Amino acid sequence: MGIPADRLPDETLLAGLGAGDADLSLAFVRRFQRVVFGVALTVIGDPTTAEDVAQQAFERAWRHAQVYDSRRGSVRAWLTTIAHNLAIDVIRARTSAPVDPKDLPALLTAMTDTPERFAVAHDNAAGVRRALAALPAGQARAVAMAGIYGMTARQVAEAEGVPLGTAKTRIRDGMEKLRSAYLREGVGDE
Amino acid sequence: MSELTEMSCEEFAAVAAELALGVLTGRERARAIGHLDRCDTCREHVRQLSLTGEEMLGLLPSGEPPTGFETRVMGQLGHTTAARRPKRTRRMLATAAVTLAAVACGLGGWGLRGAISAPSPGISTAQTTLRSAALLTSAHEPAGKIFLYKGDPRWLYMDVDLDPDAGVGVDMGNGTVICQLETSDGHIVTVGSFHLDGGYGSWGSPDPIETASVTGARLTSLNGTVLATASFTAAK
Repeated sequence: MGIPADRLPDETLLAGLGAGDADLSLAFVRRFQRVVFGVALTVIGDPTTAEDVAQQAFERAWRHAQVYDSRRGSVRAWLTTIAHNLAIDVIRARTSAPVDPKDLPALLTAMTDTPERFAVAHDNAAGVRRALAALPAGQARAVAMAGIYGMTARQVAEAEGVPLGTAKTRIRDGMEKLRSAYLREGVGDE
Repeated sequence: MSELTEMSCEEFAAVAAELALGVLTGRERARAIGHLDRCDTCREHVRQLSLTGEEMLGLLPSGEPPTGFETRVMGQLGHTTAARRPKRTRRMLATAAVTLAAVACGLGGWGLRGAISAPSPGISTAQTTLRSAALLTSAHEPAGKIFLYKGDPRWLYMDVDLDPDAGVGVDMGNGTVICQLETSDGHIVTVGSFHLDGGYGSWGSPDPIETASVTGARLTSLNGTVLATASFTAAK
């Protein structure tokens, strides 16, 4: 018998990574390297540092494979969150602004684009994607600055040139709309 | 030092998104977390926002890593990939995947030789906690692996790779062996028996015990001799 490693479920590859199996570890890295590197590069902007962060994310996944709990989310979401947290740590250590607001429209377009691959693959986030696309521009930017770049409401307010209260309201209202879309997808129920 | 004032649900709702995204700071964050300790409704609200934030991360564009990335990652993990028989481990995990699929499909899990061509969506969305532990002989030689799946239904899967020449002290030729689980309160529960062929064999069973209480497993011969043990409490 034998199932090619690249066709095994994500959870099995993660178990193999944690167990130190070379074949399964390689399959795990190959399956997720573009996702992990993409997250790191988006947040950090610098390919060299992004690669370091992506490597760290895989190392952390290996160290914590045993505590992964699928009730909390998919392997993909778990790994993405690991990479994101590491990337946020890097940009918070910088003195410069995490993101130039002028770069946000391109990112939001990429995030709300619906390429064909999502139609045939695992686009569980279709509802959130549509909701993000439908947000007023100010809310979408605020949500992206806070949710992707880890910017506080105060940093959002400064970057956007709006009062702190306005920035907080944009983050709250934007996220509430995304949450509603997420719940409508039925994936928030456990 | 002044004491933090209690935050109301209305106040919390105003900052819940920031808390969920990890961007709430200072005193406001401390007050919000204090509120969560007392309010189940708001805790659920922020959990949903948190999951929504994670979902949003899934929308980020993928990126092609630099050439050699996977090699460097594998090198970083290299000291952990010295599996004694990687091909066998892979086969074992493939079988575990089939078992998981079969159980998830309500087939009882025993048609292990049945074909499954691709990961079922039902697997990745199953509420799974997969624990594993190495089986070791008394001489601390690797002897296989045991997996515990904490889902509905629970199951265990054992893959045994006992080298007959490794000196475990008993005749391993085509013998029947017994799988037992050890619980945190010291009980030994016999789960079932299966057959080894030349020291090799794999076997799965519904797990009769709440997996959280399982602290170890052991494999014995029919006469009770312990052939190998596994510990779920030991560090990885």
